[in-house]
Amino acid sequence: MFGSNTLEIAIGIILLFFLVSTLCTAVREGIEAKLKTRAAYLEQGIRELLNDFTGTGMAKSLYDHPLISGLFNGAYKTLAKGNETTLKRPDLLAGGKDLPSYIPSKNFARALMDIATRGKDMGAVNLNEPSNTITIDNIRKNISNLGNPQIERAILNALDLAQGDLLAAETNIENWFNSSMDRISGWYKRSTQWIVFWIALSVAVIMNINVFTVVDYLSKNDTARKILVQRAGVLTKDSTMLKMDYMQADSALKDLKLPIGWSNYGSFRINHADGSGIWNNLFGPLLGWLITALAATMGAPYWFDLLNKFMVIRSTVKPKEKSEEEPSYTPRPNPPTNSVMDNAENEPDCCSEPFNEDTPDQELPASKGGVAL
Amino acid sequence: MSFSLTWLPTVLLDAGLKVAECPGWANLGRAEMGTVEGVLCHHTATTIRSGNMPSLNTIIHGRSGRDALPGPLAQLGLGRDGTYYIIAAGKCNHAGPGIWKGITGGNTHFIGIEAENVGDGSEPWPEVQMDAYARGVAAILKHINRGAEFCAGHKEYRLPIGFKNDPNFDMNDFRRRVQDIMDGRSAPVVIPKEEPAGLIRQTLRRGKANDAELVKIVQQKLGLTVDGFFGPITEAAVREFQRGKGLVADGIIGPKSWAILDTIA
Repeated sequence: MFGSNTLEIAIGIILLFFLVSTLCTAVREGIEAKLKTRAAYLEQGIRELLNDFTGTGMAKSLYDHPLISGLFNGAYKTLAKGNETTLKRPDLLAGGKDLPSYIPSKNFARALMDIATRGKDMGAVNLNEPSNTITIDNIRKNISNLGNPQIERAILNALDLAQGDLLAAETNIENWFNSSMDRISGWYKRSTQWIVFWIALSVAVIMNINVFTVVDYLSKNDTARKILVQRAGVLTKDSTMLKMDYMQADSALKDLKLPIGWSNYGSFRINHADGSGIWNNLFGPLLGWLITALAATMGAPYWFDLLNKFMVIRSTVKPKEKSEEEPSYTPRPNPPTNSVMDNAENEPDCCSEPFNEDTPDQELPASKGGVAL
Repeated sequence: MSFSLTWLPTVLLDAGLKVAECPGWANLGRAEMGTVEGVLCHHTATTIRSGNMPSLNTIIHGRSGRDALPGPLAQLGLGRDGTYYIIAAGKCNHAGPGIWKGITGGNTHFIGIEAENVGDGSEPWPEVQMDAYARGVAAILKHINRGAEFCAGHKEYRLPIGFKNDPNFDMNDFRRRVQDIMDGRSAPVVIPKEEPAGLIRQTLRRGKANDAELVKIVQQKLGLTVDGFFGPITEAAVREFQRGKGLVADGIIGPKSWAILDTIA
């Protein structure tokens, strides 16, 4: 039966994936803050856009242009390696040095129009000559000084379509820039997914987050499952969920009290009897970790949405826990205290003190069975 | 309304075991059980060395004092004569925090069996009790469709490990024994209905339609009020007699007890 149990296990797993995702994203952001890989991708994108693969011509002029150079510290130095034919994409973990991670499209368009009119040399004088003011005509007149036919073509194309309107020409250049930026975002997203995957795989192995163990555990422990669903209910109502930092995600993950981590590895394994099998010791955990890692690459927002959807489904499929909260028969004056929250911490046990209320043989109830019929 | 473990007596009786139902057991429990995943074995650590199940009332009512705990403390009690006392059909306070096979909610998911034993190694486990222990566990596991590995000792389940020492026998040996029973390699030994030869006297026990004349003979030999009724007092006296003669003190007069009774005046 696709009952509320299955749904609750799914909610538990989604919550787990969400927290792992958040954790990995936080780590990824930490790495990005250090390396600024996006800046490297942007620089590469601009070099390709401006047909300046070695970063010595147009791209250098653009980055040196006051409208752009104000966005970062120090002077521009290309990150390009090799020449036009051997040019490679930046590595997954390429460093972006001090270059900007974002360039507003307006700054780009204005800087480019300025370069087209006043020339590539940032040290040039006489900038205020009438022939150097930015007008459609002046751009057309001076553009050949760029010495970069592809760019000239692109700018002239923008001018032509603007039909004499300078602001429309600027917008056209912005659009051209933005379409290229979408491409850079695509590169960056793909590289992020790879990096998050490797981070998630490390996290899954280091913290031993094996999906199979967790599913098995949840399917067997009614109380653990209920606690987890309650927790999910609280978390989904919290709008700051998606802004959790590393420490918060880490402690939330520990709060779930799931069979993760290595300290209790032995007792979490389900099949003690055939604990030596290759599935139990090798392929099972490997696949479990891999699934966790792949799930984390989907990103925290994805899992958060899914979690919300599942919580909604669950609230429509009424769980059958009502009867548990109101036992129809209370055998003792002190009735069971909130059986749902009766988790491992407050599970009492016996045998800690000698039993001392004597039951003499005469008080024992009569037995039956054990005799041949 | 009763709790869900009402199948316990039938399952144990079918395994050829002696079963005694405590009054009101079907309605006793802390709450309803969860899915039954296995069995947790305990010993009572009683201080009383006489009697068949001196801890029974404590298990039913809970314990008071420094470490007070409301009962019931286990679903089943196992007397020294191998009789299962059915105590509760709901959840009991027996497990405490721990983990076995990935299962943490011990009270919710495990049936607790408290076997009567001092538990410090000074009281040997009678063979009849150990045999009944393994058979009862095997019958329950078979009923819930689980293998012998879902039988854990409290000492194995309870965290931190080493906090509890019960039961004080080797659980791996015990599980092997349970597995043998589950695999049908060990048939139960029951008390014959009557003597095999000679006088062919029927087996007498409390709560059964006994031959009053035979009961009178027993009562007379044990120096009790001769009324022909096999009640709790007669049973207790029979247990005492059996204990003195080195028999299984189950209060049942079978062929072995008859043979010994014949030797006294």
